[in-house]
Amino acid sequence: MQQHSTVHQDSDQHTVVQITDLHKNYGTTHALRGVDLAINRGEIVVLLGLSGSGKSTLLRHLDGLDLPTSGQVQVLGQDVSTLRGKQMRKLRQRVGFIFQQFELVAPLTVLENVLTGSLATLRGPRLGLATYPRALRERAWELLEEVGLGDKAFERADQLSGGQQQRVAIARALMQDPEILLADEPVASLDPESSNQVMNLIREIGMRRQLTVVCSLHQVDLALSWADRIVGLRHGETVLDTQTEGLSKQNVMEIYGSVTTNTSDLTAVTRELSEELAELTLSGTETSR
Amino acid sequence: MTSTLTSPGRSTEPKPRAFAAGGSFLPRPRFDQVTVSSILIILTTLAIISYNNLGISLSGMVQSWPNALNFFRRAVPLDFPPAGEILWQTGVTLGIVICGTLLAAVLSLPIAYIAASNTSPHESLRWVGRALGVIARSMPDAILAMIFAMILSGGALPGILALGIHSIGMISKLFADSIEQIDEGPRLAIRAAGGTKSQEFWGAIFPQILPSVVSIVLLRNDINIRVSVILGFVGVYGLGYQISFAMQTLDYRRAMALAVVMFVLCLVMEIISSAIRTNLLGIQPTGRGIGDRLQRVLSRRQVPAVTTPPLTEAQRAEERAIALAIALASPDPTTAKPSRRRPWTRARVQATAFAWGAVIVVIAAISVSATQLSPVVDFWGNLTIQMNRMFPPGFSETGAQKIIPALVETVQIALAATLISVVVSLVLGSFAARNVAPHPAVRGISRFILVAIRGIPELLLALVLIVITGLGPIAATLALGLAGIGVLGKLMGDSIEEGNPGPERALKATGATRTQIFAGATLPQSAPAFVSSIFYMLDSNIRAATILGIVGGGGVGFMLTQSTTINQQQMLAILLSILVVVLIVESLAMTVRKLMR
Repeated sequence: MQQHSTVHQDSDQHTVVQITDLHKNYGTTHALRGVDLAINRGEIVVLLGLSGSGKSTLLRHLDGLDLPTSGQVQVLGQDVSTLRGKQMRKLRQRVGFIFQQFELVAPLTVLENVLTGSLATLRGPRLGLATYPRALRERAWELLEEVGLGDKAFERADQLSGGQQQRVAIARALMQDPEILLADEPVASLDPESSNQVMNLIREIGMRRQLTVVCSLHQVDLALSWADRIVGLRHGETVLDTQTEGLSKQNVMEIYGSVTTNTSDLTAVTRELSEELAELTLSGTETSR
Repeated sequence: MTSTLTSPGRSTEPKPRAFAAGGSFLPRPRFDQVTVSSILIILTTLAIISYNNLGISLSGMVQSWPNALNFFRRAVPLDFPPAGEILWQTGVTLGIVICGTLLAAVLSLPIAYIAASNTSPHESLRWVGRALGVIARSMPDAILAMIFAMILSGGALPGILALGIHSIGMISKLFADSIEQIDEGPRLAIRAAGGTKSQEFWGAIFPQILPSVVSIVLLRNDINIRVSVILGFVGVYGLGYQISFAMQTLDYRRAMALAVVMFVLCLVMEIISSAIRTNLLGIQPTGRGIGDRLQRVLSRRQVPAVTTPPLTEAQRAEERAIALAIALASPDPTTAKPSRRRPWTRARVQATAFAWGAVIVVIAAISVSATQLSPVVDFWGNLTIQMNRMFPPGFSETGAQKIIPALVETVQIALAATLISVVVSLVLGSFAARNVAPHPAVRGISRFILVAIRGIPELLLALVLIVITGLGPIAATLALGLAGIGVLGKLMGDSIEEGNPGPERALKATGATRTQIFAGATLPQSAPAFVSSIFYMLDSNIRAATILGIVGGGGVGFMLTQSTTINQQQMLAILLSILVVVLIVESLAMTVRKLMR
């Protein structure tokens, strides 16, 4: 894998994420086993892997929602594990996070949910639309219109469809005015049509605002068509790191399991091949198992 | 009480097992089963002894029948005070109760926050939060009111403080439960956006728990209205105070008239809170009280109206029209973007009306209570004087000789009352279950009796019984026993109905009789829930027995009222002993509940 991960090392662009030898254990489970990763400003990256491969854990480290067992995570020039209290919140404000389950506050209105994205800029708790400054309310409106949900502003968040809720969550993340946008399986709970809408929206917004986008996915096809760069994870290790340009599904599958099947879902493929996978292409990095 | 519970199960159960094992090999009982069984057997024995000791007998009740007749002759016709007076006293009662409940709710929020496993900043704080709740719950409100009345000399404040402190026990526990049940995701989302802990709470947790917060507070308010009668007997103003005064002057016509007012007040408040819960919070009425029942009947009628599509379409059009009209009529410069104004949907109108209504009620409650404040010249000064009078607690030899028998009598009242409730509700509760009742009419009648019993505040029951059977423990025992049937019978019926019907069908398929099915499948399934309800009952009966003593129901409560004026060091000793007994029973109940799980 070394030939892949070195691709970006010589790049002279500004690095916004720098991960060095990151290990994370939950009790006896090793979620991450020595991940090295550098991401440059404006890159649109997919973390590709199965559930349990460590991609969610990795994303959570980038927002300080998880702290490393060992190793270093630098985000926007700051060592995340040294941040506490206000500094940590300041960093989190600069990093937007989109969740698989949207995580909107169900009984609140859509508009108020978007406004919760601005809490880090405010002092003290807020409850009710009127408690947010007018300028922020205007901005939340604009963002809602940008994601195409201006007409839903005053509905309860749980009245919306899954795709709509995820778009609200995107608007909420944008409310933070982030530099990095993280998305953890943002379409895993959505139907294909909403998935397309949401993925296109994330990419569009990322390009328009020149954000760095890191998105975890398990669908190879989607990752290939959507990202500029793919980082593959397996059992808490990076097994692939490559630009998508000129890359075919065949290539990715070869790296993952040497054979392609007609499904785009990595889960199914790898479940069949999990035995072979252990030996095949990954022998170099598998010594720890 | 439990001999009837377990013996049918025991007599039928070993037979098939012994048969299957081909001999007398019985499985070795587990440790927790042995513990629970022995606790139950000991308590049952004690309860039967208490029952005999208290001298409750059928012949005694028959003998007191002339007393009852005499009482009713002296109570009718009812003598209602003028309407203005009734309204004002009702207002005072409501004001005190609402302020007390509100105080408890406000204090409960931080306690629940540190007690809930997902929000507690530290494990030790979690323990502190729970301990505060248990302590608050174990302090009988009437006794708290008594102490505060001594320091503050009557009025509204002792009642508010007593209700406020005691209610923390239940409210903080239920708040903490609902905090633990929230969806953690939104909270994480706010943390990921850089929110602080308090922003997490008010932004993600509080909106999620708000419906249950309102519902819990309303529920406790209903309970506190019932409790407020007793507070009158220790000097808190309101309807209870008037009833107490009428009773003491033997003016039964006035007392019973006020009791009727109190009964109606309880009913009306229950209907109102049930209406709020159904309409505003969308919580389906599950049928605890009369209010819930009424709501269900009403909503059943509304069902066709709500679900007919053309009408909802029309409503929506109407809402849109209203929103548009408001937008157009408004001279505000923001009309340039009319869609940015929040439309007045039905839900918003309801919520706003409720919020303003709540604000008005709270302001009214506070201002009414404020008129009833006794002139507190020097709270801290009074406190020190009282403290000096009370300390050191009078655990002298003669004191102990008096306190201990009185305490034993209170425990006996609670045990005997629980025994009565258990025996009756075992029958009545079973017949109130759909899958046991031989005929729907039997279920209907049983349920009706249970609802009727629950409708009567136990204190009013005790007052009537005291007049009939004379001062002493018998009235308290019967009142608690009867009131307990309403609660326990309902819990029993519900837990039987909720049981898995599979085993019953299986026994039926083997050709078992109705009683065999009941003993072999129905009862064993509902037994754990029933046993834990029994302990809940016993636990609350100990506190209630103390309180009923204050109005003349015997036991340590009676002694307590006497010693408040004469020997205050002894009073403190009594209070401490009561707390110890309450805590012992509570921990016993907790142990059994844990073992039964």
